[in-house]
This record gives sequence, C-alpha cells and structure tokens, in this order.
Amino acid sequence: MSLPHDFAHTHVTGQSEYVDDRPALHHELYVDIFYSTRGHAEIIKLDFTEVLKQPKVIKVFTAKDIPHNLWGAIFKDQPILADKIVQFAGEPIALIVAETMEAAQRAKQKVMIEYKDLGAILTIDEAKKLKSFIGDARKIERGQVDEAMSKALHQITGKIEIQGHDHFYLESQATIAYPLEDGQLEIHSSSQHPTETQHVVAHSLGLPDKDIVVQVKRMGGGFGGKESQAAPFAAMAALCAQKLKRPVRLCLTKDDDMIMTGKRNPFENIYKIGFDQEGKILAWDVQLFSDGGAYADLSTSIMERAMLHSDNAYYIPNMRVTGQVCKTHHHPHTAFRGFGGPKGVATIEKAIEEIAHFLKKDPLEVRKINLYSDTNERNLTHYGQKVENNQLYRLHEELEKKCDYKKRRQEIELHNQSHLSTLRGLSLTSVKFGISFTTRFLNQANALVIVHLDGSLQISTGATEMGQGVNARISEMVTSELGLSRDQARVMPTRTDKNANTSPTAASSGTDLNGAAALLATRKIKRRLSELAQYLLDLPQEKWASKTAGLGTQAEFVLKHSNLDVNDPNEGADWISGKANYFGIIFEDGFVYHESNKTKKIEFKSLILEAYLNRISLSDYSFYRIPGIEFNKLTGQGDAFLYFTQGTACTEVSIQRDTGEVKILRTDILMDLGRPVNHDLDIGQISGAYIQGLGWVTTENLFYNDQGLLLSHAPSTYKIPSIQDTPRHFQIELLKNDENYANVRGTKAVGEPPLLLAISAWTAINNALTHLPRFEKNYPQLKIPATSERILRSMEPEKFKVWES
Amino acid sequence: MRNKIVFFLNGTKEEVGSEHAGLMLSDYLRLKKNLTGTKVVCAEGDCGACSVLRYFPHKQTTEEGTYLPINSCITLVANLDGSSLVTVEALKEDDKFHVSQKAMIECHGSQCGFCTPGFVIALSGLVEKKISENKCSLNSQEAKNALTGNLCRCTGYEPIINSALNMDLKSASSLKNRYFSKQQEQELKKTTDESVKIEGSDFSYFAPKTLNEALDYLKQYPQARITGATTDLGVVHNKRKIQLNHVLSLHLIENSYKIEKNGDEITIGARVTLSDFRSFMKIHLPEMAHYLDIFASPQIKNLATVVGNVANASPIGDTPPALLALRGRVVINGSKEIPLEKFFKGYRQTALGQGEIITAIKMTLPKKNADLRFYKNSNRKDLDISAINLAIHTEWKNEEKTEIKDIIIAAGGVAAIPMRMVKTEDFFKQNNDLKGALSILHQEFNPLSDLRASAAYRHVLVENFIKRFFAECGGLQ
Repeated sequence: MSLPHDFAHTHVTGQSEYVDDRPALHHELYVDIFYSTRGHAEIIKLDFTEVLKQPKVIKVFTAKDIPHNLWGAIFKDQPILADKIVQFAGEPIALIVAETMEAAQRAKQKVMIEYKDLGAILTIDEAKKLKSFIGDARKIERGQVDEAMSKALHQITGKIEIQGHDHFYLESQATIAYPLEDGQLEIHSSSQHPTETQHVVAHSLGLPDKDIVVQVKRMGGGFGGKESQAAPFAAMAALCAQKLKRPVRLCLTKDDDMIMTGKRNPFENIYKIGFDQEGKILAWDVQLFSDGGAYADLSTSIMERAMLHSDNAYYIPNMRVTGQVCKTHHHPHTAFRGFGGPKGVATIEKAIEEIAHFLKKDPLEVRKINLYSDTNERNLTHYGQKVENNQLYRLHEELEKKCDYKKRRQEIELHNQSHLSTLRGLSLTSVKFGISFTTRFLNQANALVIVHLDGSLQISTGATEMGQGVNARISEMVTSELGLSRDQARVMPTRTDKNANTSPTAASSGTDLNGAAALLATRKIKRRLSELAQYLLDLPQEKWASKTAGLGTQAEFVLKHSNLDVNDPNEGADWISGKANYFGIIFEDGFVYHESNKTKKIEFKSLILEAYLNRISLSDYSFYRIPGIEFNKLTGQGDAFLYFTQGTACTEVSIQRDTGEVKILRTDILMDLGRPVNHDLDIGQISGAYIQGLGWVTTENLFYNDQGLLLSHAPSTYKIPSIQDTPRHFQIELLKNDENYANVRGTKAVGEPPLLLAISAWTAINNALTHLPRFEKNYPQLKIPATSERILRSMEPEKFKVWES
Repeated sequence: MRNKIVFFLNGTKEEVGSEHAGLMLSDYLRLKKNLTGTKVVCAEGDCGACSVLRYFPHKQTTEEGTYLPINSCITLVANLDGSSLVTVEALKEDDKFHVSQKAMIECHGSQCGFCTPGFVIALSGLVEKKISENKCSLNSQEAKNALTGNLCRCTGYEPIINSALNMDLKSASSLKNRYFSKQQEQELKKTTDESVKIEGSDFSYFAPKTLNEALDYLKQYPQARITGATTDLGVVHNKRKIQLNHVLSLHLIENSYKIEKNGDEITIGARVTLSDFRSFMKIHLPEMAHYLDIFASPQIKNLATVVGNVANASPIGDTPPALLALRGRVVINGSKEIPLEKFFKGYRQTALGQGEIITAIKMTLPKKNADLRFYKNSNRKDLDISAINLAIHTEWKNEEKTEIKDIIIAAGGVAAIPMRMVKTEDFFKQNNDLKGALSILHQEFNPLSDLRASAAYRHVLVENFIKRFFAECGGLQ
C-alpha cells in the first residue's frame, strides 16, 4: 500500500491551514473588489462618496494609486485595476478596504459608476471578422499537405466548437499581505507561482524583489487557475497593506472569483482530413482559433501546446496546423490542466470518429492503424520529435482486452436496436502528452535540503502543493535516498527567500523538476556522508569525534573527494532502486553500512552528529535543468518535450432519449506512468483528472449575458460533476513500464494527461447518437460540453425549431 | 424568556447574544471560535465544505434522533438554538482518528484538503446513522447518497467512495455518546422550554413557544422575516442582497414538527424538514420519497422545510408541482386553508397576507389505482436546480386506462410560478386524446430562456415527460 498524502492526517482533522485560515491580526483589514459589469466601455463617472460613508469602510484605491499598473505572464498588457477603459465584464476597477469583509462587500454596492459602451467582441467569429487578435498566427507544417489532401481517396471537412471551463478550485483566490519593517512586505498567497507573484507585487509597487517575500503553504486546488492569475490579487492586497501599513486580507467569494478570473480558453477549430479506404490518415489540415479574452495572459503558450497536440497519438505524414489567439472582451483566459492539449486532441479525435463513421468501421480500428509506431518510421511528430519509449499500441491492445471492447460493442448495437428509452455509446481514445514546458527557460528548478542534528530533514523547493501530492513525492524520493522513513522529512512552505527564480508548479512538471533538484541536493549530502561513513566504519568508536572533538585529540576528518556536480538525477543511480551509491555505502532503515559488511552499521543519527563535529556540511542546495529541450518556436520544429506520458480510456455512456441526459456507465483507464514514486497518489490524479475532464465535456456550461458577464458563477448554476456522476464501474490500472530513462527515478508526470482521456466520454456520446437513423450519413455536430439540452436538440431538432421560429 | 441563544459546540455550552446570533454559523466558527477546519466555498449550501453535525433533541419526529450533517454557511447561529453541534476538529478522540478520518487518510480520499472536512463530517453523519441503526455494513450507493451534498474537484470521488466503503464501522464509537450527555439533554430541554427574544442594534430575534405569540410579534414587527432554516434566505443574505437582521423563528413551537396522516390526508407542520418528509413518505408514498432523493443535498434536506420550499414561491422549487398534483393546501395561522394553486400569485409572490404565517401544508394521497409520477430535469442529475419539474396524477375511468376520470398536471420552470396546466387537464378529461392535449399544453405556458435551459428545451421536455408518463403507466393507447 502506498503512503498517504503527507498532510492527509491534518486535512481530515481540519488542522491544515489555508490562507484564509490564518488568524486575523489586530488591525487587519479586508478588501473587496469592485469590478466592471460591462464588456468594453469607457468609465465616464466613478464616485465613491457613498461607499466612504458606509460603516467600517477605511479607504478606496483605484488605478491611479498603483505605481506600475500593467502586468502579464508573457506580455505586460493587463492593468491590475482598470483605468478609464474596461475591457471585460468582471475587470477589477477599485479596491474597497474595510474593517470586516461584510462591511466591504456591502459598501461595494454603493459605488456610483457610469459607462459609455464601446462595443464588446464576445465571440471568436466576431474577433476573426474584425481581425482582433493577440500575437501572430503560428504554423507548424510537415510534408506536402495540399498535394496529399487532393490525392487522398476521401476527404472530410469539419468544425469543432469547444467552450471554456472553470477551474472551480474549492479555495478561491486568496492573499494576505503583511507590511514589515523598512518597507518590506510578506505575502501569503494561494498561488502556483510564488516567484511571479513576488515579481508582480514588487514591480507594481516599484519595490525591489528583495523587499518582497511570497509564501505558499498550500492551495485548496489550483488546476492552472492560480498559475498566472494569483499574482494581480496579491498585488492588490500588497498595495493596500503598503499604503495603510496594516495587514490586508483579500479572499474572493466563489461568485466574484468565477466572474473575474479567466477560464480554459474556448476554441473553434476548422479542419480537413484526407484518408484512404482503410482509414489511414494521409493529410491533416487544421486551423485552431482560441478565445484569449481581453488580455494575453498565457493564451499564446496555450495555443502552442494545442498545436503540438493536434496529432495526439497518430502519425500523420502530411500535416499543417495553424493557431491564432483571438482578442475578445471576456475575462482573460488562462492555464487549465492540459493547457492547450485537450483542444488539439478533441479535434483530431472527432475527425477520427468521422472517418470511421464515413467508412462504417469501428473507430478503434481506425485509431489503431494510425498510431505512432516504430515500424516504417511512423514515429516522428509533425514538429520533428521522435516518439520514444512508445507504449501506445500496447496500451490500446491491453485495454481493448481488459474492457471487453468487442463484446460490449456488439451488446451496444443490440441494445440500441431494442431499447426505445435509452441509447448507448462506447469509445476508446488515448493521449500522448508532451512533458516539459514548451518555453525552454521554464524547465529549471532549485531545491534546498537541510539535515538537522537529530537526523530529521527539511526540504524546500519551488514546487507548490495544491493537492497533487508533489511534496509527498519529493519527500518520499529524498528520504528513500537516505534510507529513512518519509515522516523523518518535512517539506516546508514554498518561500521566495529560500527558492528564488522558480517556475510555476504547472505543466505536470512539479515532481519532475523539483523532485530532481531535491534529489540532486540530497545526493550531494549523501556523498559527503558516505565518505565519512567509510572512514568511520574503519575507526574505533572511541576515536570518533563525538568522543574526542571537545578534546581535540583526534584529527578532523577532511573530505577528499570533490563535491558532486551533475544535472542528471539518474546518473550513478542503480536503475531498479533509483538510489545512488557512493563508496559502497548503503543507507537503509535508518542505518548506514558498507555493502561488503551488512553487520557493521552506523545509525544515521550518529553519522549526522559525527559529520557536524567534523565540520561537514549537512545542508545543500541544488539546481536542475531538463536536458535536451530544443524547440524552435519560429520554425515550429525540434524536441519540445523530454518524454511523453501516454494512456488510454474506454468510456460507455447511456443517453436518455427523451431528455438527452447522460449517464456514464463504465470507464476503464490504462496508463503508462513509468515507475511511480507513489502508486496511489498517481491513481488519485487519474480519477480526479478524468472526472474534471468529464465535467468539461458534459455538464459544465459557462453562460454569459450580452455584456460577457458570467451568469453561471456559483455551484448552483455551474455544475461540476457530483459523486453521483462518476462512472458506475470505474477501473484504473497502470501499465508496467520500467523503461523510462528520461526522467527522475523512471517516473512519468501524471497531473494533466488523464484529463484528456475524458474526451472518450464525449466521443462515446457522439457514438451513441450515430446509431440514430438521422445520423446515418452525417456525423453529429455537438459542442463541448455536450449538455443534455444540446444532445436532445441534436436528436430532435425539428421539435426545437417549432419553439424557436 | 431568554435573551441568549443556547447550544452545545463540541460538548461545550455556548450562550450567544445579539452580537453574534445574527452570524452564519460558519462565520461564528471561523471568526469567533477559531475553528477554521470548517471551510466556506460557495456560501450557498451547494458544495458541503462547511458541513457540521447537528443534533436537535427538541424535535420528536420520524428521523432517528442522531447527529445529521448541515450546511453551516447558510445557517444563522440563532436558528441553532437548542442544538448540539460537532465540528471536524472534534471528531478525533485523543490520538485516535474517527473511522471516517482513518479511512480518508488511508484510501487517499483527500488531495488538496479543502473539501475534506466537509466530506469527513458527511461520512461521520453516515457512521452515526449506522450506529443508531445498529448496522455494520454499507454499500457504495448509500455512500454516494450520503455524499451528494459535497463537491470535490481533486479526487474524482472514486478514492472517497473507497474511503467510505473502508470505514471500520465495527470499531466506530458514537459521537452522541461522546458529545451528548444526559445532563446536556436536560439542560437543552430546560432551554427549549423557554422562548427567546434578542433585541440588539444589528440583530433582533424572536422564537416564541406558541403560535399566538408569533402572530402578536408579527403584528408589532411586520418587517421580521419568518425563517425555517434560512437555506434560501441565508444564500440571499450571503450574497449581500438582503440583510437578515430581524428574524422570527418557529422552532420552539411544539406541534410545528408534526407530520401526520389522517385517512388519506397528510398534514405537514411548518418545521418538518425535507428529510423528515422523505422518511414519512417512504412509508406512505414511495414515489415521493424517491423524488426527494434527486433534489437538494442531505445537508439541505436535514434543515430545509417543506413549508419553506412552498413559502419561498420559487418557480423552480421542487416540491410545489408534486404538492399541486396531490391537491395541496396551505394552512395559514393554524386554521385558514388555501388551495396551493391559489397560493402562488406571481414571481415569488404569494397569497400570504401581512401578519400571516403558514403553519402547515396538507395534501391528499392518491387513490389506489391512480398513477402518479414526478419528473425533474436539470443540467446535472443530482443536486441541481430544475430546468423543468413536473408532476402528473391521473385517475382512470377504466382498467384499460384509455379514459381519464381526473388528471392533474403541475409544472415548475414553465412560468413565473409553479402552475397547473388546467386547460390541458380539461382537454384530457373531455377527449382522452394525448396528441390533442399536447397542442393545448404548449399554449398554456410560455417559458423563459435562461442559463438552465432554453424556452424550446423546456417545451420539449414538458411534452416528452407527459409522453413518458403515459408510456410508463400504459395508458391512453
């Protein structure tokens, strides 16, 4: 059985501390944010007279109070507080500071504002017509697409519309800013990116980075929503704290959080696919358009990942993918688990379903003949990276057998012929998810490991804990390296004064990057301890420093070997155990010994004391950079990723014919995660990601008014899956694969990839519909999410037309 | 008469006056008691992160006397008068985790941890129920039903379901034994024997022992809000659209908890919760109990009242169509009766006059051979506000079910009020013709398009549900 999450025992008792759980200090103040209700407008009147008359209200701040108002993760184009012009409904305009949260919230209603509308762009179509774009169009191309397309026996053209997706982290954006002496600020933030939060705070206030410390203890969920977008809220709290010289707390309500913050980018993709009679793809020409919202945020990077995943698991000899981010007047859309991946993958998976539908073949057969494989060199992606350690075919074959695909396919055919009240569908899709930030410089990390005199450890990295168990994995790696139990180490809150210039905990890379850095730091200490242990094992105990150091009768031990300086966490490690061995010294169960003599042991704790007394450093810091990332953004070619995480899922759905309601009957998942550090944590990531993705493709419907103001801004109206929506049978298994040499300890990243497996639920819904006579020729045209209304509408459009003409 | 709200919190007596009685319980716990294990996410009773356990011994109804999970974010401290509460901090006994905690740790039921206290509380409530029933096993459907009111965004629920199934019920110790002594019982009994009146600058509250006192108070303070459980008003208060600063509560009035059956008539008292109603109906009308399973959460149903669901007059309330189909009557001030279809006047407007209190709802059970069905559609199947809800109640003239003697079709989500489709009903009775009736039906309502459904979807759903009704009961071929 795997070890539990490292803080499970405090989660279940309510003891775990989140930002808003911090006890209020004397004189602490609370902020509420007044925001725009218009999509695009000029502010012609803004009056806080009544606000300031309300009880317990202290102060109101606006854009003019911020020294440097613009911020942005890639382009600095977004005001922290809107100045004169608002560009989305939900855009922060003013900060209302009061002695209690309720006072600030009630006072907010007294703001007098008048707008002059400037005309809001709210759809991708409008933006395209008006050429309202963010960044340039990008293209990745391989082969002769036009020629291959025209020569292909069959072509299908199509379009897929994909809506946004709210993160719905349970803990909304939260920050407390504490003013310290000499103009310093300490910020406690629910942020996936403490470094950026620090930099945005410092820049906005015109302070040097050295005067800002950001601490992230843990988040109540992040999912990408706190990668870039935690920072401006921290800057707002910091501004108030700096000006008022009092601690200031800014914790959003769920409603305001959902209205103000960006979502997963909506996409509208247009495609043409050419294929032969067998179903083999010959040409794939796809244009991706995303809704970036009002500001750039991470949308261009998200688009890049969408383009890099438009092949998914399939080798396509001639392929062209273009990507353009559209500027609209919606909240600035942002990172969300999977980044652009799900939008690229959904598109090719829909096209494959259409090929199968056209050829009257089982979609699984079409998928299998198109998979990346080493035979005939069908293993090179459209961006020129070779797919190594490829498990795709094995994953398909094994899952097909495990889930009884063929038999169930026949049963579904029979069911749909004989049952009038429900319609069933089945689909097996896969994912090949590239692991690494596609922006090279983000693939770096540092870590600090401290061994205290009693032999217990503190580990500090740039990773932030949001439930994914990154700290549990890191401490498991570190302690196992030293032969200790995990509870002998504690991963400390992430702080920018210990780990600086870190990357966001994102792109599924938290453990890969920070775990490798922590392991390298541990190995440095381990090497010194090993050398000392080797010496001590031959030295009579009475001569050890603990007996003699105070007397100075024994010469001090001096390390002879140079310090360890490597970047590869697998170098020198025994592949099976993953542990490094220096000078033949083994660390096991709290003891060390030489591999030649298991009986002569030194207790780890004693070794630490001897090391200290011999003036050998017990702490170390290490830096890790992912090797071999060579992706050229201008040519769209190169090794964008260190490796791929792969998996397959098969989902069976049932649709109620008279309402369009969907039930997930069964889901089987098989993934290759290399050699997990903690099996159960990985399984939890898979089930969580799948269900989150399931919400995206089924019930999670963002509903806006004609100003782009989000109306479904609470769980009463925005429906994430509940416990009753889980598949009736839900089986998750991992493929045995010891061969991943690319990554630390042979693990593979798991955070994002399984979310994309939920696309199988969407294709299964489509598959169910294809059993209706109306879809015999034409493949259904469902959006993501396929809500029950949309499903019923596609089944009975005539009935809807009666009421809409 | 008392001027303090009295309850037990994790075994310790709390006496709360005007300063804090108007807080939501979650704020009281987090801000005043530093019990920050209880989380607030949505502040609208939809996510369950704020769940605490409550036992209310004063109430003597069908539900077993045990701790039940409730949403603390929408519950006024004042309305917890007479209760015993247990929060997540109090579940662990010295060094021993509660069986729910132990299972959640071992089965990886917790990831980010923010929803975890709520899940642990809901599971502990389930354990209390099992202990009170002397049962040591549970299946996954029971677990899911107990956890319908808790949202988790990390785990995908599977590890939580596994946690529930791995709770060691045999070794579970009762929270009631730990936190509710005989002495506390007597103390609360004494407390609830006395009415309570709080008059503060920011918050006034009255909970009388009799209906007459309540009516007198209303005459004096017409602005006072009559609250059942504030599961709706609490939301509006939290979203800062109203301020609940003057409240009248009926929780100390003895017979307001009564639910009883006389012949085929059922009377539901003003304080009967949806959970109590469900338990009672499970015996007398299982179809109704089943319908109650798919709306609201256990936490809400443990607090919210049937009368509140009617008084609230929401066009998409889930009980009104069902009650309309069962010829519901609203009992006002203990005597006057108004048929439910005359009670709803307009969007959130009712026939209730100034100085009037709904004291009960009455309804009539269907005849033996009648067919009764309740339907509900929402974006998500469970714990979601309806796009459409529909109740159909048909009595047949003949066994072949081709001729209708009487029919009631009542729907929510189709207009500003929950309404009966009277013209369609008449057409059915006169013509026994489904197709013709459907064309009449659509003329009877003109629904809105909103974030839950388009007008067209609502039309199609109502029609399809009516068709499903006749298909299911095999009538009118």
